[in-house]
Amino acid sequence: MSTKATYAIYLGIIAGLAALGLLGDRFMVYMGMRVMLLAIFALGYNLLLGRTGLLSFGHGALYACGSYSMALVNLHLTQDPLLGILAGVAMAALFSLIVGFFCVRNTEIYFAMLTLAFGMMIFSLIWNLREITGGDDGLVGISRGSVFGLPIVKDGQFYFLVLFFFGLTLWLVHRIRSSAFGLVLAGIRENHQRTSFAGIPVKRYRLAAFVVSGMFAGLAGSLGAMLQYNTDPFSAHWSHSAEPVLVSLIGGLQTFSGPLAGSVVFVVLREIIERYTQNWMLWFGIILLAIIMGLRGGVMGGLEKRLRQRAATRKGGE
Amino acid sequence: MGEILLKVKDLNKAFGKVVTARDLNFEIEAGVLTSIIGPNGAGKSTLINVLTGLLPLDSGHILFKGEDITGLPTYQRVRRGLCRSFQVVNVFPELSVFENVEIPVLAQMKKAGHIFRPVVKEKAVAQQVMEILERTNLAGEAAVIASALSHGDQRLLEVGIALAAKPSLLFLDEPTAGMNPVERVDILKHIRRISASGETTFVIVEHDMDIVFSLSDRVMVLNRGDIICDGGPDHVKGDKQVRECYLGEEVVA
Repeated sequence: MSTKATYAIYLGIIAGLAALGLLGDRFMVYMGMRVMLLAIFALGYNLLLGRTGLLSFGHGALYACGSYSMALVNLHLTQDPLLGILAGVAMAALFSLIVGFFCVRNTEIYFAMLTLAFGMMIFSLIWNLREITGGDDGLVGISRGSVFGLPIVKDGQFYFLVLFFFGLTLWLVHRIRSSAFGLVLAGIRENHQRTSFAGIPVKRYRLAAFVVSGMFAGLAGSLGAMLQYNTDPFSAHWSHSAEPVLVSLIGGLQTFSGPLAGSVVFVVLREIIERYTQNWMLWFGIILLAIIMGLRGGVMGGLEKRLRQRAATRKGGE
Repeated sequence: MGEILLKVKDLNKAFGKVVTARDLNFEIEAGVLTSIIGPNGAGKSTLINVLTGLLPLDSGHILFKGEDITGLPTYQRVRRGLCRSFQVVNVFPELSVFENVEIPVLAQMKKAGHIFRPVVKEKAVAQQVMEILERTNLAGEAAVIASALSHGDQRLLEVGIALAAKPSLLFLDEPTAGMNPVERVDILKHIRRISASGETTFVIVEHDMDIVFSLSDRVMVLNRGDIICDGGPDHVKGDKQVRECYLGEEVVA
């Protein structure tokens, strides 16, 4: 697909989401924000998983770094939401730099387990440092304030701040994926030994990918704290890191739009299933099984293949 | 006499009791196509692995262009102009042929870290990539996914990736392994041509004697971690010790 067509599609998506924000009811608006937040988290995460080939269980903790830093700044320093988000992203970057420094020395299962270990440490810190983090209650009473004089207190207003950051994430991740850096990350995924024989310091690039994806986790986390008006200690739990993995798998690991499509499926399906049964995880698991086994390459990967096949048969028929 | 590119001093490497390099001392001169041969287990691949930084050495020094590179990581050696290809196909399987060569070119031109600039806009890089693809006869396959290439073309791509780093010294580890005779003649022709252009000095590690004697200016024979013979192809062919340990084995086989 040409770059222009891609941009047109994403502008269409943003326009559609803007329309949803203007016309949708409260529930739709809330769901829209949930989808966008998860998509920000997953788009960034997939730079690490789909692109670089590293599976991290520490991104839940990085998400929480964003949430808690945002909340702490909001409660103690300033109610300016942009400064709070900036603090969230910066703290997530700092933590990913520290955690990543140790983790990128290893690959595959060792990398995954190390990120898990760091994630658990951060989770238990949040759980136990009651005076600072509120322990199992989390931090409550976050106020949204206003951006450049525009109030974002109501969900219908806050929606557009989320939409802005969602659009920004789409654009940034698209640029990174089509950059030289993005190509090198794909090279590391395909063959890290050969990449170092191309003259590239592989560990440093892995670390960079880790930090970049960690910053998007921090962004999603700080927006999430504002959405819920509080922070959730369980967002730091390693199991929360599975969410972007599932979302990427549902949508398609190797595609840019995969995490996006996956987020819609994840949030909407969960909402629908939860209405009918307490065991949403059971049903969700079954659906997930069908998608992963039936649609190799996820929803977007499968769709792409279908379209290509159709184009091929059409060409063959002529 | 050309410039001394590589100087190996008292290099030792052993895996437990198996010695794969014993007090090795040798130099590689620019412009001299050198081959390293030896029977299986002679320590040829280990030697390349040590020289390129894949394996640590036990003792000794490696000097490249006069600079001690003994402790440097692989990518630093590559940046200084020391590169290699691999015995088994070792490409980026799911990337296109173009992208396979693009990665080392980006690194070589110090553009690999550009994080927001679309890589398609790097015209100078694209030009360099096409140049290398033409030199390795793969220009027509630029858009093909590497894993879809024939085995021979994958080996050529392998050499192309190594060349893209613009090495002044390039180790080829059994460049003809697993090739059919036609492909074999083909790749040798390319190696000879690229070597003659003079930018890169090749060191070929080989098993196949025909290739070695037809191609090289200098042959080094390795056996159980020792250099047992070193000189022009004719000199090595006539050496008694070499015949015993290596050629003899071939005759028996």
